[in-house]
Amino acid sequence: MTLPCGTPNYTYEQDMAIVRTRLQWVLVVLLFVALAAIPLFSSRYVLSIVNIIGITLIAATGLNILTGYCGQLSIGHAGFIAVGAYTSAILTGRLELPFLVGLLGAGAVAGAIGLVFGIPSLRVRGFYLAISTIAAQFIIIWVINHWTDLTGGFLGMRVPYASIFGFVFDTEGKMYYLITGITVLCVFFAKNIARTRLGRAFIAIRDNDLAAQVMGINLFYYKLLAFFIGCFLAGIAGSLTAHLNGFINTENFPLSDSILYIGMIIIGGLGTALGPILGVIFIRLLEVLVTNLTPALQSAFPFLPSGFTTGIAPMLFGLAIILFLIFEPRGLAHRWALFKAAYRLWPFSY
Amino acid sequence: MAELIQLTVTGITVGMVYGLIALGFVLVWKSSGVANLALGEIVLICSWFTYAMLVQAHMPVWIGIPLVIAFALGLGWIAERLVLRPLIAQPILALITATLGFAFFLRGLVVFMWPWSVDALPRLFPIEPVHIGPAVVSQEYLWAAGISLILFGCLQGFFRYHRMGIAMRATADDQMAVQACGIPVTTIFSRSWMFACVVSAVGGILMSSIGGITNGLIETGLKSFSVVILGGLESFVGCIVAGPVIGLAENVGGFYLAPYVWAGVKDIVPFVIIIIVLFVRPYGIFGEERIERI
Repeated sequence: MTLPCGTPNYTYEQDMAIVRTRLQWVLVVLLFVALAAIPLFSSRYVLSIVNIIGITLIAATGLNILTGYCGQLSIGHAGFIAVGAYTSAILTGRLELPFLVGLLGAGAVAGAIGLVFGIPSLRVRGFYLAISTIAAQFIIIWVINHWTDLTGGFLGMRVPYASIFGFVFDTEGKMYYLITGITVLCVFFAKNIARTRLGRAFIAIRDNDLAAQVMGINLFYYKLLAFFIGCFLAGIAGSLTAHLNGFINTENFPLSDSILYIGMIIIGGLGTALGPILGVIFIRLLEVLVTNLTPALQSAFPFLPSGFTTGIAPMLFGLAIILFLIFEPRGLAHRWALFKAAYRLWPFSY
Repeated sequence: MAELIQLTVTGITVGMVYGLIALGFVLVWKSSGVANLALGEIVLICSWFTYAMLVQAHMPVWIGIPLVIAFALGLGWIAERLVLRPLIAQPILALITATLGFAFFLRGLVVFMWPWSVDALPRLFPIEPVHIGPAVVSQEYLWAAGISLILFGCLQGFFRYHRMGIAMRATADDQMAVQACGIPVTTIFSRSWMFACVVSAVGGILMSSIGGITNGLIETGLKSFSVVILGGLESFVGCIVAGPVIGLAENVGGFYLAPYVWAGVKDIVPFVIIIIVLFVRPYGIFGEERIERI
């Protein structure tokens, strides 16, 4: 499904190219122009949504490497994002280090914490791992809430604006360029990881870790590396969340978010580069739709119970996850591939 | 001393209820190999349904509670029939995430129906405190423990002697062989989900009649995973033994640890136990150690 039938590759460069044809180059350039132009003609509200989508995409890409490629289910992703957010907040706010140090520090610390909770993955899998990552989520949030000297506890803490070499990202529009830049880098990084030795090792572990071990893949090294990369990206996302909001609190990182991240990569398509992008956009736009539509529905149909506005969103997300698992377990990315094939082969699709 | 006795009794009895809820997990896991992560939400929604019956609809207990049981049966049937039946023979990742999706749905449903999110159930048990030596223990805890024990006994007997129970145990052992013997495996799955929901509902009623209905019930469900992990995924006895152990660790351990670490350490003791057990003995006390083959 990756390349159309009869596509010849004569050189290694051709074989490895992500952008292959002239049309694709045009589209890529157009995409970048469009990305650069979004803040010029969109409102603050639209921009804030796009920013959230970008940050979520970084976190979901990390989770996709961990769960989608390497097959290690993590239901504590929001916890690792929280670690990143607080690390960055402490490094830049308390210690007044530069933002870039905070960003990379957030990734590194979140990755390190991920390693600790990833160690059980060497002996257990599936349900056990899910439980250990849920436990990780609870323990992380609890520690943040109670380590008041460092984190401000339940009250949360303020975070200064991000700034690189004196340039301060103090508006949604400036943050947009920062977030989009990092998101593009992360997605590109994830796409490339999947095609290297590393990604192939991850996929082998996902498909059957014992067989992978017999083939000479060092499970200890690769599983923990998957945890590190996944949580590193979560940390980056956390750091950006902190600097975007200017204020963080543990309530920004609930367990339900962790479940939602899993839902996003399932809806998008596990273990594909395109999957997280589609899944994140799907869920976030659904969220926007629900928040904008429900008050109107509520006033139009007064017989609806008062919990309608807040309750309908989780119900829809839960339904979406279940329906995708049942009817399209390979996600929107697979649908897109099918559509491309059908378009290419039309009208003789057999 | 009085403190210790009081904490011990509370710990053991609360642990019994954890064990009861954990039993609901083990039931489903044993028969169909599905890890039910929606346990906390099932507990929550059953408690709220109890509230709807007893408080909102003003029903007497002897009508209300059977209706809750019926609701739990229906919930289990729906969960199995609509969510998990289409996913039979899918990888465990899909099964786990399906239950997570179901959990999300139930959470939304609870907010939808009862948006105020905190309330109290009417007293189901007498509240006069009981004196055990120098300690004073609330009677509700003893009732909860007693009911949990009775249910344990019933289920144990059911699995040992009843035809259906034996069929369920056989299904847990080898689904294919059971199907070949003419036992409808899907019916077994369905029944096990229904039983599991009833057991969780009873656990929920006991918990919420003591502590009120809050979103903390979801955490109660998650805490009972530590019972499952400690006791071993395949073991009913594990639940009965590990439940009180977790309850004791949470209450007694939490109380005496609090001066040394931060206050409120009680809340995460079960989760720390999960991590420790997974590091030391991942298959639990009574679980089967799996021998891996390719």
